[in-house]
Amino acid sequence: MNVRSQISMVFHLDKCIGCHTCSIACKNIWTDRKGTEYMWWNNVETKPGTGYPTQWENQDKYSGGWETHNGDLRLKSTGKGKIVFNIFHNPHQPSMDDYYEPWTYDYQELFNAPEGPDQPTARPVSMVTGELINIQSGPNWDDDLGGSKVYAENDPNLAGLSDEQRAQLSAVERLVFFYFPRICNHCLNPACVAACPSGALYKRGEDGIVLLDQKRCRAWRSCVAACPYKKVFYNWFTGKSEKCILCFPRIETGQAPACFHSCVGRIRYLGVLLYDADRIEEAAKRPPEELVEAQRSIILDPFDPVVIAEARANGVHESVIESAQKSPVYQFVKIWKIALPPHIEYGTLPMLFYVPPMSPVMATKEGNTIDHTSEDLFHDIDESRVPMKFLANLFGAGHEGKVRYALRKQKAVRWYRRAVTVGDVPMSTAEHMLREADSTVEEAEAIYRLTSLCTFDDRFVIPPSHREEAIQMLESPEEHRQSAGFGFLSGPRRGI
Amino acid sequence: MNRFNVRLLVAAILPALGGAQEAAEFFRQNCVSCHTIGGGRLTGPDLKDVGQRKDPAWLTRFLMNPQGMINSGDAYALQLQQQARGVVMPTVQGMNKARAEALLGLIEAESKLEKSQFIGLQISDRPFTGEDIEQGRRMFRGTRKLLNGGPPCISCHTMKDLGGLGGGRLAPDLTRVFERLEGRKNLASWLFAPATPTMQPIFRKHPLDANEALLLVALFEDSAKRGGQDDSVALLNFFFLALGGAVIGLAACDAAWKRRFRAVRRPLVRGMELTR
Repeated sequence: MNVRSQISMVFHLDKCIGCHTCSIACKNIWTDRKGTEYMWWNNVETKPGTGYPTQWENQDKYSGGWETHNGDLRLKSTGKGKIVFNIFHNPHQPSMDDYYEPWTYDYQELFNAPEGPDQPTARPVSMVTGELINIQSGPNWDDDLGGSKVYAENDPNLAGLSDEQRAQLSAVERLVFFYFPRICNHCLNPACVAACPSGALYKRGEDGIVLLDQKRCRAWRSCVAACPYKKVFYNWFTGKSEKCILCFPRIETGQAPACFHSCVGRIRYLGVLLYDADRIEEAAKRPPEELVEAQRSIILDPFDPVVIAEARANGVHESVIESAQKSPVYQFVKIWKIALPPHIEYGTLPMLFYVPPMSPVMATKEGNTIDHTSEDLFHDIDESRVPMKFLANLFGAGHEGKVRYALRKQKAVRWYRRAVTVGDVPMSTAEHMLREADSTVEEAEAIYRLTSLCTFDDRFVIPPSHREEAIQMLESPEEHRQSAGFGFLSGPRRGI
Repeated sequence: MNRFNVRLLVAAILPALGGAQEAAEFFRQNCVSCHTIGGGRLTGPDLKDVGQRKDPAWLTRFLMNPQGMINSGDAYALQLQQQARGVVMPTVQGMNKARAEALLGLIEAESKLEKSQFIGLQISDRPFTGEDIEQGRRMFRGTRKLLNGGPPCISCHTMKDLGGLGGGRLAPDLTRVFERLEGRKNLASWLFAPATPTMQPIFRKHPLDANEALLLVALFEDSAKRGGQDDSVALLNFFFLALGGAVIGLAACDAAWKRRFRAVRRPLVRGMELTR
């Protein structure tokens, strides 16, 4: 056993209202520089939809992630042999058009346009070329307008759905969508790290945050191609790739990352997981239907004395172990099993988990009356508007079992709380439902509390980074204190 | 007398001491590619009894700066250039007044001999056989190596009926070189000591053997008899081969990178517009 700690995340999709505050918070802090205009380290997608970049989930085209070949894991996009032949051109590189061409507006036009019969408008100007452009797409095109006929119907997760199910998704009065916020998953088996020929990408030992060394990056862009979630971006101005850093400067000072901090719906949870690093490869090689369980199995119980002893032996700090015991992520993923990894079939073992969203009951419209197929407000989850198969493609590697389990438990919790607060549902029925959903009253209460009544400190259990210990390894803390603070990254020196 | 002066003295005396020996060596290194003494003209004239044709003062001046003499419009110098089919004698490196006079002395001495050591290449008059022509062709193509390691003709020259893509296009077509250089002796001399700026530096170090020159002459005599020029078909072939090669190369690249990323969003939008 090789116990390590990882800062992991849960996004509760049932609570996401799609306000994009997270995206803006991230943009304002990290990606409002030249060369990063098109980057959204955090973006919110509307599902069904093709996302950003367009159809990123279609690995036949983007060649991201891992595949098993003769029992070995290997990258789809590159390898030791392949990279030699692709040394002058990376054949799996997305173009800017597949993200979108970033633009601003020429606001002068609003004031300076000559008088005419129509309203003046601010004309869009490309932030790359400075030319006037016709906007072809944007980072949230599915939602903005975009003609969702084109975009929503080409969602790769619709694979395996019947024509009827597809039609049901977009029929008027049955229309359904949900939001899917995405950041870097800080994977256990990151394809970007494996792909980098320069060794610029690394997974931080102390908390598993995947970072990209700007001084080592040589602009091969293998990481951009290899990441199946397309969460590494190439800065065309600096000639270096960049990615979400999970706001590590904030984490190190005990603050939640900006997107977490600003989340209006309070959908985001952050906490430490302990995992067994020796079993990563074994888990990633399992067939798709076993992947979710395999990943769960390498996440270790932070209360288990054996695990604690091994963690200590590996240099995991006592405070981190305590933090892991309080981790909301551990509850969602391992205890309640209602948070699932996105597209685990890509083989990267993402450490950001999603609680799948509940959706309204199906309805048909006849004349002016809308008829719900189910009389129950809390209908059978198999009859919800988002087909189970769609959610299974997104969160279950195409297999419905784990997704159905998570949704049934969520539904049972709702029934239970209905019985408690409204009382129009007999408690016996609610308890029966909880049993059927593999849950108990205590668990339902805990899920309810962490979902609905959670405070800042419940949601974000950030382990101390012990920077003082890191500093002590390099220099005397007294000396460091004198040179720290605001100022130059490389200070002024005497001489030319 | 200090050491510096001693050195100067030695430098001044030494050439005088070994004069004749040194001049002969200099002649062998720099003159024989174009001149003989009593062996008939090559690119440059036969130098036998040159002292009787022009006075030593003129000859010394010419030796030291041939191009200058031509530029000054000297009638005899111009005549010499014409006889050499326009080739101008190069200004030999290391030439000075003392050396020029030594060379003239050497020529005078050699002229008096019945058979000078610089009589040059004497080429056989025997009639050429089919085998000679074949061997000549093999040398031209480079399938038979040249004895002294010179490069084969084909690397720069072409000629008619060479087959394949023909030869190089850097230098003239040699199909009728036999006519241009007026016969067996002149051509052989040229081959033995080519005087163009491109060939000279190469073949000075790797000269053709007398027999090799003869075999090449056999080839050129034969090709001149047949007449014609290297036809443009080879050129056309080359063009089509290059075109075909480029197409096949591109197709191979396309196949090798078949799974490369092509645009996703644009075709998606365009495709939906078409089916609507």
